[in-house]
Amino acid sequence: MQLTNNQRKRKDIKLAALCLLLIGAFFLDIALGPVRIPLRSICRIILSLPGGDSTWQYIVMQIRIPKTFTAVIAGCGLSVSGLQMQTLFRNPLAEPAVLGVTAGASLGVAAVMLAGGSITTLYTIRELGLSGSWLITIAGCTGAAGVMLLVILISKAVKDNIMMLIIGVMVGTVTLSIISIWQYFSDPELIKDYLMWTFGSLGGVTGAQLYVLGLATFLGLVISFLSSKMLDALLLGENYARSMGVTTQRARLIIICSTSLLAGSITAFCGPIGFIGIAVPQMARSVFATSNHRVLIPACCLIGTTLMLLCDVIGQLPGSQAALPINIVTALVGAPTVIWMILRKNNLSIFG
Amino acid sequence: MTNNRFFYCALLLTIFSCKERTAQNTPPPAVNNSDSPRVTTTIRYARGFTIDYHDNYKLVHVLDRKGDLTDTLEYLLVQKGHPTPDGHAKAQVIPIPISSFVAMSSMHVGMADFMGIAERITGLGSLQYINSPIVRANIKAGKTIQVGLDGNLNNELLISLHPGLIMAMSNPEATTAKYKTLMDAGIPVILNAEWLESTPLGRAEWVKLMAALVNKEDLVNKKFDSVVRSYDSLVQLASQAKEHPHVIIGMPYKGSWFIPAGESYMAHFIRDAGGGYKWADTKGVGSLALNFEAVAPEALTADFWLNIGYVDRKQDITSKDPRFASFRSFSTGQLYNNNKKTNDIGSNDYWESGAVNPQVLLADMISILHPELLPGHTSVYYKQLQ
Repeated sequence: MQLTNNQRKRKDIKLAALCLLLIGAFFLDIALGPVRIPLRSICRIILSLPGGDSTWQYIVMQIRIPKTFTAVIAGCGLSVSGLQMQTLFRNPLAEPAVLGVTAGASLGVAAVMLAGGSITTLYTIRELGLSGSWLITIAGCTGAAGVMLLVILISKAVKDNIMMLIIGVMVGTVTLSIISIWQYFSDPELIKDYLMWTFGSLGGVTGAQLYVLGLATFLGLVISFLSSKMLDALLLGENYARSMGVTTQRARLIIICSTSLLAGSITAFCGPIGFIGIAVPQMARSVFATSNHRVLIPACCLIGTTLMLLCDVIGQLPGSQAALPINIVTALVGAPTVIWMILRKNNLSIFG
Repeated sequence: MTNNRFFYCALLLTIFSCKERTAQNTPPPAVNNSDSPRVTTTIRYARGFTIDYHDNYKLVHVLDRKGDLTDTLEYLLVQKGHPTPDGHAKAQVIPIPISSFVAMSSMHVGMADFMGIAERITGLGSLQYINSPIVRANIKAGKTIQVGLDGNLNNELLISLHPGLIMAMSNPEATTAKYKTLMDAGIPVILNAEWLESTPLGRAEWVKLMAALVNKEDLVNKKFDSVVRSYDSLVQLASQAKEHPHVIIGMPYKGSWFIPAGESYMAHFIRDAGGGYKWADTKGVGSLALNFEAVAPEALTADFWLNIGYVDRKQDITSKDPRFASFRSFSTGQLYNNNKKTNDIGSNDYWESGAVNPQVLLADMISILHPELLPGHTSVYYKQLQ
């Protein structure tokens, strides 16, 4: 796993280039939007210089910057959790959703939105002192945590990771069908609200929520960085990992926890955002031609963030007043990228 | 101003006398006495349907959204005891006057209440969203039952009810396939498209279809004409306003804001009430899916924020998103929601009686936007958020 000097140098150049790309995408996302604001004014607003249009200030500070930071957080979190899943299951098609965490978050949200007219009306929920956007978020987190607990309990009884993968997918399927039953018996208006949520959005996370989401993602990423050696070992097979002193059971638990934290909290706040979790790890492996997680994790963060920011820019359809939901754009942009990469290399491996 | 005061008082009286008559819990009149099979009515505002009168039958067409005749649904309203005329093979036959029917939307309940035939509703899509005292009493007495909404209609229950008609809520472009079982069982299904009407009077005029089904054209002509008269004089009144305060509608969700398009029902109301609307010149009768950012410049400076959504207090708005506190309307407190007449079971009468009383809705809106034009007016459907 040791890198030669030459390789290290090339890796550093690539990382630096990605950083530049990321910074470019970051500012592009702040600079572009349906309301045209001159670049000079944007700079003045960011540097909080006095003067300038108060509407523009509101747009940049209250709308664009929170959205851009949400894109950074979601891009990092989803791609790293995708990488972890692909390594754990040694399968290039694994993604954060395979453990059913995303479905769990959706179930929590559906429970709140669709039950709004039946057993627990929104009025009674308001009596509990929860209201507005926090309610949805807490419901999403609870749902994700519930499914995660279930998966962890099952994982204790299961030795093989592939069995774990199948069980995760099955739990997710059951969760989604519960949501479908709920939808079937719900009013069309309530279903519409829920559908809006499933489109995913980076624009709804503001203020205190942004800090909470940032903190949760940061925690998940730290766990992930600390376990990068363990991930390397797992990639070479469970027997090899055991011979290196890595307890597979415990490794699996740590990885599942960190993935659930990342994917669960991001889904709860932003809605389901697909594809970043599958596509970015492939890109990272392809660009850096390595399977070393100490390189792959930062690479995933950089590529994931850049891709998410670019998707947000595209989703805003520059020059138009409307916006495409982020979940649609990530798939539209992500799928062709992965196809192109596979065709170019003519192989798809989790070993870089 | 002062010499016009008498006129306003008279105007207000007509608005509310109309309203009160519908709200009264009078015993239902005998079916045939007040009926007027020989009287006709003409459609002036609604674009979605036509009625043609013939000897002993009426021919109703429900047009598609664009208002052309290529894809219409045809209904033959045949007076009971008379033969069905030939030459209308594709039409559904409805023997009239209907003595019972099933309603799928609260708007149909509002129309039935307006016509004084609410007691003829024997089934409802959902019992949850009802305001009409007559219908609620019938629900309690078990005379009106729930038959299920679009997705899960209880066909067996519906057929066993033997309703004279099912009034479903759909646009004619939608398939009638899901009602095929019912139509095969001999139950006529009308697909009402009143919610697609883009003008307040057009939407309310669908009550004439209800009237045609029960031979009450005489009554509907009188009542609807009085609605039109009050509405028109209110429009006249609002046109005296010198300023047009700007209005925003709805609330963004997850970064998208659905704004009523320039030819929509809501945009018409704002215009008629003498309000300014930034999207007044946009095309379309539905809503525009805009980015929050695209609406923000207008939202920050608009004077009024109406129909805000599922909120009851100012605090509910900031708990949805603290950024909304920067809106001008928020700091001046000019926030009004259309849920004043929400009853104990959470059903908002705005969607029920409001649909057939556009003159009351307009009076509410004028008194919000231009309180000096309607002094002393107490809002019926709108309330200010505190």
